[in-house]
Amino acid sequence: MSFLESNVYYMGALGLVLVGLLVILVRHNLIKMIIGLSIMDTGVNLFLVAVGYSRGGTAPIFSRAASDPAAMVDPVPQALVLTAIVIGVAVLALALAMAVRLHGHHGTLDMRKIRELRW
Amino acid sequence: MVSPVLLIAVPLGLAFLIPLVGMASRRATGLMPILACLFNLVAVVLILPAALSDAIVVRIGGFAPPFGINLYAGPLGVLFAGLIALAGLAVSIYALGYIRRGSIRRYHLLYLLLLVGANGVVLTGDVFNLFVFFEILCISSYALVGYFGDRGGLEAASKYLVQGAVGSGLLLLGIGILYGMFGTLNMADLAARIGSSGGMSVFVPLALIVSGLGVEAAIFPLNAWLPDAHSSAPSPISAILSGIAIEVGLYAVARMVMTVFGAESMMAFLMFLGAATVLAGEMCAFAQRDVKRMLAYSSIGQVGLVLFALSVFSPGSVAGGLFQLLSHTLGKGLLFLAAGYMIYRSGSRRISSLNGMASRMPITSLVFAVGALSLIGLPPFAGFASKLMIVGSVLARGGTMLTLLLGAVLVGTLIEGAYLFGVVQAIYFRKTPAGAEGGRAPVSAVVPMLLLAALIVVVGVWPGPVAEALRAAASDLMDRTAYMGGVLP
Amino acid sequence: MRALVALAVLAVIATGLVLALSDIPFGAPDSRVGPHYNRSGREDTGAVNMVTSVVVGYRAFDTLGEITVLFVAAVGLGALLHRTSRPGGGDDREPASMVLTTGCRYLFPLILLFGTYIFMHGHLTPGGGFQGGAVIASAFLLVYLGCRGRRIGRGWASSVESLGGLVFVGLGLAGLAAAGHWFLSAFLPKGTPHQLFSAGIIPLIYVAVGLKVGVELTGVIDRLMEDTQ
Repeated sequence: MSFLESNVYYMGALGLVLVGLLVILVRHNLIKMIIGLSIMDTGVNLFLVAVGYSRGGTAPIFSRAASDPAAMVDPVPQALVLTAIVIGVAVLALALAMAVRLHGHHGTLDMRKIRELRW
Repeated sequence: MVSPVLLIAVPLGLAFLIPLVGMASRRATGLMPILACLFNLVAVVLILPAALSDAIVVRIGGFAPPFGINLYAGPLGVLFAGLIALAGLAVSIYALGYIRRGSIRRYHLLYLLLLVGANGVVLTGDVFNLFVFFEILCISSYALVGYFGDRGGLEAASKYLVQGAVGSGLLLLGIGILYGMFGTLNMADLAARIGSSGGMSVFVPLALIVSGLGVEAAIFPLNAWLPDAHSSAPSPISAILSGIAIEVGLYAVARMVMTVFGAESMMAFLMFLGAATVLAGEMCAFAQRDVKRMLAYSSIGQVGLVLFALSVFSPGSVAGGLFQLLSHTLGKGLLFLAAGYMIYRSGSRRISSLNGMASRMPITSLVFAVGALSLIGLPPFAGFASKLMIVGSVLARGGTMLTLLLGAVLVGTLIEGAYLFGVVQAIYFRKTPAGAEGGRAPVSAVVPMLLLAALIVVVGVWPGPVAEALRAAASDLMDRTAYMGGVLP
Repeated sequence: MRALVALAVLAVIATGLVLALSDIPFGAPDSRVGPHYNRSGREDTGAVNMVTSVVVGYRAFDTLGEITVLFVAAVGLGALLHRTSRPGGGDDREPASMVLTTGCRYLFPLILLFGTYIFMHGHLTPGGGFQGGAVIASAFLLVYLGCRGRRIGRGWASSVESLGGLVFVGLGLAGLAAAGHWFLSAFLPKGTPHQLFSAGIIPLIYVAVGLKVGVELTGVIDRLMEDTQ
C-alpha cells in the first residue's frame, strides 16, 4: 500500500477530521459536540501543516545567516495554521460560554431535550 | 483619494476604541457604530465613481500580488460596502432605543465587528483573508443571536454555532487543498491557474468551499439553523442577519464559483438548488403562525431566488440577482425592524396578535406594508424592479429547462405574496383583540424605518442608476479576464 | 438510523478527500509563493524567522483579522456570561495543595518572563505574539488555580486589550500616511538582521499582540471561573 504509506500524514489528519465530524453528527451532548468540533479543527490544522512539508526540509528560520532558503519548508501553511488555531480557540470559547448558559437554563446539555423551538 | 482599506480599518479602529469609550459613558458606545457607518457611507460615495470605471486594487503592505494580500475594490465590492453601511446605519440607530438589557457596550462592539467582517469579505482579493473576515462575521453573529440570554436565543445560537463551525472547518479544508494544488492564495492568481487546468480536479475543493460558505449563505440543505436563529435573535440582529449576513455569504459563494473557479457545472447545479430553496422556503413560511419565523423562512425563499438568478449566469440575470439582493436587504431589514416594535408592544410574536395594529401604530404599520409589498414585487417598490429584471433576463436566455425552473420560482413568489398579504391585511383590516396593549415606536426606531422605506420607494421609482451600477458589478463578478488583468502585474 | 446517515455522508466526504490527495503529493509542494518568501523574506521584512515575516509582514492583514476574531470571541463570551446579579455563596472547593500554592507564587513571574521573551523575539526565534500571549495567560491560570482570590483588574485588562488593537490599526494607518500609500507598510527602518531592534514594525506589532492576547485569554479564563463559583 504505497499510496497509504506515502500519504500517512494526510490520512491521519483527514482521519481526525472525519472522527470529529462523526462525533458532531452522532452525539447529543453539547460538550461532546464541542469536543468533536475541536477534534475536527485539529485535523484540519494538521492537514494544512502537512501540505507545506517538503522532504528533507528544515524550519524556515535563518538561525545562521548562511542557511539555505531552498532547503526550508514552506512557511505559508504554518502561518495559516497559526491563524486557524486562534480562530478555533475563539469558537471553542464562545461555544463553552453558550453551554454554560444553556446548562443554567435547562439543567441538562442533551440537545434532544433542548428542543423548544418548533419548526 | 480615499483608500478603500479605510472602509475596513476605520470601523475596526473605532471598534477597538469602544471599550475605552465605554468606561467613560455606556450610552455613548451606541454612537460608535453610527459613526463608523457614516464614515463608510461618505467613503463609498467618494470611491464609487472611480471604482465603477476601473477597479481599485489596494496592495496591503506594498507587496505585489500574489505575494501580498490585496483588496479588490471593484464596483461590486464598493456597492456592497455601501449597502452594508446603509443597512448598518439604519439598524444601529434602531438599536439605540431597542437594546436596553444585557451588556450594552458589548452589543455595540459585536455589532460593529459584524459589519467590519462583512466589509472585509466583500472587499478582499485573497482566499484565506476571505476566510478570516468571514469568521469575524460568523462569530459575532453567533454571539449576537444569543445576546439576550433567553432559552430560545441560546438554543438557536448554539445550533447555529455548531453548524457554522462545521462549515468553517470544511471551508478551511477546501482552502488547504487549493493551496496544495496551486501554491497560491490570491484569488486572481488562482483564477489564472485554475483556468488552465480546471475541470474535475478542482471539484473536491470547490465542493468543500461551496459547502462551507453555503452554511452562512443559507443554501438548502445547509440552512437548518436559519429559522431558529433569525427568529430568536433580537430584532435588530434579525434584520442584520437577514439583510447583510446571508447576502455576504451569497457574495462569497458567487465570487468563488464564478470568478475564482469559473465552474459552469456547479452553477447549473446551484440553479436547481436555488429553485428548490425558493419553493421549500416559501411553503414553510406560508404555514407559520409566528411572524418572525415566517420572515425567516421568507429569507430562505429570497436566498433561493437570488441564487437562481445568479446561477443562470447571463449578464442581465446576475445583475437582476444582485438587484434582488439589494431590495431584499432593504425590505427584509425594514420588516424585521417594524415587526420588532410591533411584537414588543403587543407582547406576542403570533401573527394574530398583530390584528388591527394599524390603528395603534400607524407609522410602523405603514412601513411594514411598504416592506411587504416590495418583497412581494409590486410596483412602485424596489422589489418590483428587481424581480422584473430577473424574469426578463431569464426569459431572454430561453430554453425549456430554464422556463420550467422560472415557473417554479414564480409559484414560490405567489405563495410569498399570499402570506405577506395575509399579514398586511391582518394589520389593517382586522379588529384589534380585546385588551391589547398599545404604544407607538420611539423616534430612534421610526427614523431608520422611514429611511429604509424611502429608499425602497426611491429605488423602485428610479431603478435606472441602480440597475446601471449593478450591471457593472455583474461584469465584475463574471469577467474573469478583467479581474485577473486588474490584479496581476 | 442517524448514525447510518452520518456514516454515509462521511464516506462520501472521505472518498472525495482521498481522491484529492493525488493532486497534492506529500513532501513535494508546488508552491509559488513559499520559496519566494523564504528567499526574499529577510530583505523585505527584516525578520529572520520566515514564518513571522509571513504572518506579520506579507500577510499582516490576516493577523489583524485574527486578533479581531479573538476579540470578538472574548467580548461575545463576556456578553453571554453577563449577569446583572452575581450569585453569592462561598467557595466550597477543596483548598489547593501546598505545591500548587508555593509554585504559583514563585513560578508566576518566571512564566510571565518566558512569555514576554517569546513575543519579543518573535522575529528572531520561533514564537510570536500569540504564542507569547498564550504563555502569559497560562501564568495567570496558574494563579487562578493556586493562589485563589486574586483577580485581574477588569478596567485595566479591558484597556490593554483596546490599546493593543489600536496600536496595530494605528501602525497600519501610520504606514498609510507615512511612507508609500500602503496600509501596514514597513515604514520603520529594518536594521540589521538578528538584532532585537530590527525588522521595522514587526516587534512593535508583536508586543501589542502578545500583551493583548495574554490579557484577553486571561479575561476569558476569569469569566468562566467566576461563573462556576
